[in-house]
Amino acid sequence: MKPPSKVQRTLRIVVVNTASSDAADEATLAAQARRNTALRIGLLESGYDIVAMLPADIFLPERIAQIQPDMIIIDSESDARDVLEHIVIATRDEPRPIVLFTDDQTPSSMDAAIEAGVSAYIVDGLQAERVKPVLDVAMKRFHREQKLLDELSDTRRQLADRKLIERAKGVLMARNRLTEDEAYQRLRTMAMNKKLKLAEVAQRILDVEDLLG
Amino acid sequence: MAHAFIAGSDRPEKTVIRAGFMPLTDCASLVMASVLGLDDKYGIKIELARQHSWSGMRDRLLQGEIDAAHVLYGLLYGVENGIGTAPTRMAVLMNLSRNGQAITLSRALARLGVTDLGTLAAAMRKSGRRFTFAHTFPTGNHAMFLYYWLAAGGIDPMRDAQVATVPPSQMAVNLAAGHMDGFCAGEPWSARAQMDGSGFTVATSQDIWPDHPGKALGATAAFVDANPHACRSLVAAVLEAGRWLDASQENRDAAAEVLSSPAYVNADRRAIAARLHGEYDNGLGRRWIDPDPVRFHDEGEANFPYLSDAMWFMTQHRRWGLLRDDVDYAAVASRVNRVGLYREAAVLAGVPASSSLMRRSVLMDGKVWDGSDPDSYISSFPIRRVVLAGA
Repeated sequence: MKPPSKVQRTLRIVVVNTASSDAADEATLAAQARRNTALRIGLLESGYDIVAMLPADIFLPERIAQIQPDMIIIDSESDARDVLEHIVIATRDEPRPIVLFTDDQTPSSMDAAIEAGVSAYIVDGLQAERVKPVLDVAMKRFHREQKLLDELSDTRRQLADRKLIERAKGVLMARNRLTEDEAYQRLRTMAMNKKLKLAEVAQRILDVEDLLG
Repeated sequence: MAHAFIAGSDRPEKTVIRAGFMPLTDCASLVMASVLGLDDKYGIKIELARQHSWSGMRDRLLQGEIDAAHVLYGLLYGVENGIGTAPTRMAVLMNLSRNGQAITLSRALARLGVTDLGTLAAAMRKSGRRFTFAHTFPTGNHAMFLYYWLAAGGIDPMRDAQVATVPPSQMAVNLAAGHMDGFCAGEPWSARAQMDGSGFTVATSQDIWPDHPGKALGATAAFVDANPHACRSLVAAVLEAGRWLDASQENRDAAAEVLSSPAYVNADRRAIAARLHGEYDNGLGRRWIDPDPVRFHDEGEANFPYLSDAMWFMTQHRRWGLLRDDVDYAAVASRVNRVGLYREAAVLAGVPASSSLMRRSVLMDGKVWDGSDPDSYISSFPIRRVVLAGA
């Protein structure tokens, strides 16, 4: 398995529209629409693009699974918060930042919360000027997590490679009565000649061994 | 006697307690404690804060924007054990209610002849499609009751069906639109789905577990530790409100009237009142007076924070793989459930309190839960997500 591309990706942002619940009156809906517009402008002015604006309905989890956003933005007053909670728990091995908006939280404590790995942050209203600092911090965390994930998958791959090589060496030693050193040299030569990675050669040897029993 | 607690060194550390509630029938005792002014008697003022989602409620508790909450028992233990969030020490001050939730299935299923769990399981086996069932929060009571009920009928909720979290207010709409087949939620949402014809009540939560624990009065451990006297006053006031609710039909009618207003549940008074009285209509022609309707007090029996109740939610979190590792169930429950504080409040309100920390329950499948052996209990379920060491 190759690790995900290390090319810098852009942050994929999805905005969830607050559900048009039956209790919502026109004034509430209009206020929501205004806040959504303000948010969208704020994000665009800050250089962030929105991948999708999604309605908060029963199909939300499915759409989010398809889009695979890095960040989901939702009004903290939305009852669809619990739908997102379902996604958070279902995908808890791949933490995904979720930004929420409400009224009172100072940037410093928000910063600390994000640094501590909390996946929900709260900022003041939906004013454009308040959106950028949150996203900047979230972005930092996003990159750090990406880096950690890359490093982790690198480490995992190296470990797996080493195991393959050890096993292939064992096969060569048994079949051809070689010392460990000779077996390793044989692997290296083969890898260089065939322009393959050591682990790939090891895998081929093990495949053949499997086939021949 | 009350004065000994609210004056001098036992004076509440904080006199205004901001308490979150969700617009559900079972917020009654917390709301009525404030509406009837019972808080005043114990030297505090309960400031009610209506919430829009359980996640929002949890976040506000953790950030200290609200001090206490009418909250899903299972949610508090999800936070305590770090399921989907950073683990944070929580506290259960008391149990607010028992019974009175329900599972609703769609009208479309009724037309196919589904009337109960057995016919549902048969319809699912016969149909080629995957059924969808909704609950209200991944670690919450409704999810655990829904999964328990399905599994008792031989249906693996994760393998044989799809489960979703849907806000209660959107349940009926999704049911009517054919987006899902059934849901488990609190009242008045099941009554409303039955009344508007989108669904029928296939099981009440008391059918699944008679006298099950419901919403808890929850807070963070940090808040309780810093404000023990204020918490004791809060529990005493809510105990009195529960006693008032269970005292007469007239009181429950009055509560239904109060709750129906936009400030609280914002729903038709009739949808709240009927099931508050135990008057059920399943929507398929069966009407009955339930012997185990929602209870708010029951001489304090409904309020005692039994450790076995708390442990049950953790066993189900473990059963479904939400809780990834074994925990010391009894130790976690005795840390979170503030039995000592509850007992003091019960004395204050003149309410009897159980001398036992555990109670014996028999659930719908005949299984006994008494808190004595969580590991064996979990491994006794043939349908589960987790393989236990040594089981």
